[in-house]
Amino acid sequence: MSDMNQETSNGEVSLEMVLEALTFAAETPVRIEQICSIYAEVANSGALPSEEAVEETVDLLNASFEQQRRALRIQYWAGGLRMATTATVAPFLETFFRRERARRLTRPLMETLAIIAYKQPSTRLEVDAVRGVDSGYAIRKLLSLDLVSITGRADAPGRPLLYATTDRFLEEFGLKNLDALPNLRQAEELLGDTNFDQERLSLLMSDGLDQNGQNVANTSSDDQEAT
Amino acid sequence: MYRVELEDFEGPLDLLLLLINRREVDIFDIPIAQITNEYLAYVRLMESINLDGVADYIYFAALLISIKARMLLPQPEPDSEEEDLDPRQQLVNQLLEYIRYKDAAETLNQQLEERSRLFTRGKASIPPEVEAPEKDVLVKTTLFGLMSALCRVLEDAPDDELMTIKSQQYSIEDQSEHIRRILFSEKQITFVDLVRGQTRSFIVVMFLAILEMAYGHEICILNACDGNAFLIERDKSANV
Repeated sequence: MSDMNQETSNGEVSLEMVLEALTFAAETPVRIEQICSIYAEVANSGALPSEEAVEETVDLLNASFEQQRRALRIQYWAGGLRMATTATVAPFLETFFRRERARRLTRPLMETLAIIAYKQPSTRLEVDAVRGVDSGYAIRKLLSLDLVSITGRADAPGRPLLYATTDRFLEEFGLKNLDALPNLRQAEELLGDTNFDQERLSLLMSDGLDQNGQNVANTSSDDQEAT
Repeated sequence: MYRVELEDFEGPLDLLLLLINRREVDIFDIPIAQITNEYLAYVRLMESINLDGVADYIYFAALLISIKARMLLPQPEPDSEEEDLDPRQQLVNQLLEYIRYKDAAETLNQQLEERSRLFTRGKASIPPEVEAPEKDVLVKTTLFGLMSALCRVLEDAPDDELMTIKSQQYSIEDQSEHIRRILFSEKQITFVDLVRGQTRSFIVVMFLAILEMAYGHEICILNACDGNAFLIERDKSANV
């Protein structure tokens, strides 16, 4: 791999340069296989670089960006590589694009998306069952945003549609692939987590009115009122 | 027909979690009788003001009532080895499952926010119309908060005159005008003061007018320190 990068000195274009150029110019993540085959096809060294070589080059390139205090990094999103700015310069870009800093989906959309992401492929019925409400609107909205797509029909009565997340979802959420989804935490863990109880639970339930956002799990269950 | 958009609000499971959390009880030992009563009180109120989405709440109302009924029945002799299932088990499982996905949604949301600070070339990603930060800023309380404020006021309100069928007395437009006049001279006013001594239909239409105006960015809804009241004031960002 390293010899490919050193070839710059004799006028040859290095894998590093190709990687930098492709991830800059493309408007979607570029798959590593694609980078390999393009490099082998155009650079007349003829040798097909291995995918590991590309990944290693990404690391080198990012390290040198960092060392030179550059505002760009190559990110691994949705199974491909893409050049993006760093978080440190975000305020300047947000000002330039006149964009609200907080960008978010509404809560019903986020919940629905989370359920589909973790259960995929998943039917609407499964989503409804978790949320306790009709999720038809949320799913249609997510479809129109191309964050989920229909992947087929379930082998169940009525052959309901199956939904899964898209590459666009991975890219928007900065995930390399579905394995990169954060682990779904156990409810017991969440209830025992003081942070969750006091901040998140009250936040999630947006109960601004409840002054006694105490730890549910730590509350003794000596409630006599249970019938 | 005016509809209150519930889309960004909470569902029945959120209401249940809220009631459980408020009572500070163990989720594994829910005092079902109390929770059922409180839950039903909310649902009745929602029905009375015709909030869209009540249907979703009915299923859990029925579930709560059936659990309550089963818990009142004498427990059968515990079948030797067979685990006698707590009637609340199914509900608890559902709440726990829901909590997990709420947490996941929150985590994903942070992920989205972090990622959205990194810029790429090409089209902007998620189009702006799904971003709804204004709603957050405007309604600084929750649906349930608003509902309990309404509920408290309605309890004290005199009943409407009986059996006089007239065309609708109050319209949202009239009430909005009323609020505008008041907010022209006052900086802010509490909901309680706004509807003091008025009839139920006046209060309900006023409540809808407030939601409508908040939605149209005319006013802000703020929590008062007392948990059950809320304040409204002119939205400073709007030039009304």
